[in-house]
Amino acid sequence: MLESAALAFGLLVLLLTIGVPLPYCFGGGIMVMVFVGGSTMKGAMMWGFGQLASPVLLAIPLFVLAGTIMSSSGIAAALLRFVNIFVGRIRGGLGVVATVSCAIIGAISGSGLTGVAAIGPILIPEMERKGYPRAYATALVANSSILGLLIPPSVTMIVYGWVTETSILASFLATLGPGLAVMFSFSIVNLIMARRFPLVLDDPMPLNQLIKETGRRTTYAIPALLMPIVILGGIYGGIMTPTEAAAISVIYALPVGFLIYKGLTLQSLLAAGREAGTSVGSIMIMILFSLILSQMFVMENVPQKLVNFIFEITTDRTLLLILIMVLLFLLGMVVNDITAIILVAPLLLPLVDAIGVDRIHFAAIIGISTAMGGVTPPYASILYLGARIGQVPVTQVIRPAMVLLLTGYVPIAVLTLFWEDLSMFFPRLFGY
Amino acid sequence: MERFFKYTLTMLLLAVAALQCIQVITRYFLQIPVMGLEEVLMYPALWLYMLGSVNASREDTQIRANVLEIFLGTQRAKVVLAIVTESISLAIAVWLTHWAWDFLQYSMRVGKESPTLYIPTIYSDAALFIGLFLMCVWTLFHLVRHCRRLFSENFIDGRGTNHA
Repeated sequence: MLESAALAFGLLVLLLTIGVPLPYCFGGGIMVMVFVGGSTMKGAMMWGFGQLASPVLLAIPLFVLAGTIMSSSGIAAALLRFVNIFVGRIRGGLGVVATVSCAIIGAISGSGLTGVAAIGPILIPEMERKGYPRAYATALVANSSILGLLIPPSVTMIVYGWVTETSILASFLATLGPGLAVMFSFSIVNLIMARRFPLVLDDPMPLNQLIKETGRRTTYAIPALLMPIVILGGIYGGIMTPTEAAAISVIYALPVGFLIYKGLTLQSLLAAGREAGTSVGSIMIMILFSLILSQMFVMENVPQKLVNFIFEITTDRTLLLILIMVLLFLLGMVVNDITAIILVAPLLLPLVDAIGVDRIHFAAIIGISTAMGGVTPPYASILYLGARIGQVPVTQVIRPAMVLLLTGYVPIAVLTLFWEDLSMFFPRLFGY
Repeated sequence: MERFFKYTLTMLLLAVAALQCIQVITRYFLQIPVMGLEEVLMYPALWLYMLGSVNASREDTQIRANVLEIFLGTQRAKVVLAIVTESISLAIAVWLTHWAWDFLQYSMRVGKESPTLYIPTIYSDAALFIGLFLMCVWTLFHLVRHCRRLFSENFIDGRGTNHA
């Protein structure tokens, strides 16, 4: 049976490599399990489709829509002006504004693309005007946009929690510590790198004017800043489930976008709806077939046999953790984070349990490892979008992006792997 | 078609969001939870998932890895690869649609209803077959498009294309 599962997995990887859409790659794996492994399709569609009718999964389209609405509503300008008043006058401060703003956007949206889509068009030209090389500014905004995947709410963690039957609230909190660490790390790396650029700094502001300006910008940013408070406060205050919080965030975003920031129009709402609906559809159909394939694997006891097979090679916990992280890094380079989680989480989970890694800690490991794929080619969807927004050839953005990644992100990813407290601090604080 | 998906997907999303909001308001603020609201929610949600996926097939934006394409130097090779992947996709999609049809027939035969409001589940179950069927149609459309491109274009010096 392990042979037919290996054949199914092999075909899946082959189809994935040649560029067959992911749902059909899983479909190909299912065909192998049926025709070679003797599994049955009777009832499989009914079971899989029934799993999709889960209220938990509804949070995905709603968070995606809320993020898309907010990014086209003009919220980014308010946030940038707000953060800029605190750090805009120091050397390299505008780079810190990019990173912190992406983190705040991350607390509103569940996606990694929202940050670069909302912040990029405003901040990249402004950074260039102040003396940052355009390629560097684009790379910094794109890399910081990964924070949308780490700062809760995160679509990736909803999928992880659902697939692995781990608390979604705990999974959200698991990536918060690493996310904040990445935010500080990028800020520090940026401050160091900014020394090399001939930057033009804003003139110092008299104290009374500074206080007045801070008050004005804070007032303008309040509707945007209230959104993460409503979402996260509602969830962790026990008032709402993540799905309900996602729905509230959509309903909240509409008047904020239409009436307060006035960037949202009927046409941009319809475009946001189509975009969010399409991206959710492509995720859900993939989830459907991956679930059916995973179920066939489980019925044949494949995950357990895989663990036994790996333990015959090594039982060294450190080595296995490093291998898992390398596998996740590599996987994140060719498929998006949600696909990577769907693909390997059910297979790796018994192994992770067997070597004594907490599932909440594993949420952080899998989250931070696969999120990096958003800026590492060939997948690099966030980086490509950043390059398009920044109007810089991708080849020019890759170098600064990799420098930022290696100095500001990879060390935190390794720290997440070996220092459990970094990811477990917030979950423990909330009693998980 | 663009307009249909734009309006339908947005309306489905907003309907789901509005129903969830009603749930929060009635349960937490008015203390009068509405029975069966979660059941109702799943009907637009499942149609949203399937129609979203159909639109992804229409736009050719289903999630792919495209690793091999990076190593192909010529435009012609990329078109040939696209024909191969679309053919494989179509074969698998047809097989999966056959099983979705099997599920739909079962659903019609049994006449299952939702537990609280007794809404026939066929209304949501039909989304799977219709969605997969339409995905097959769009996959076939892209396959034909690639084939026509292969036979109707001159591929100059193996890289650029020139319309015949």
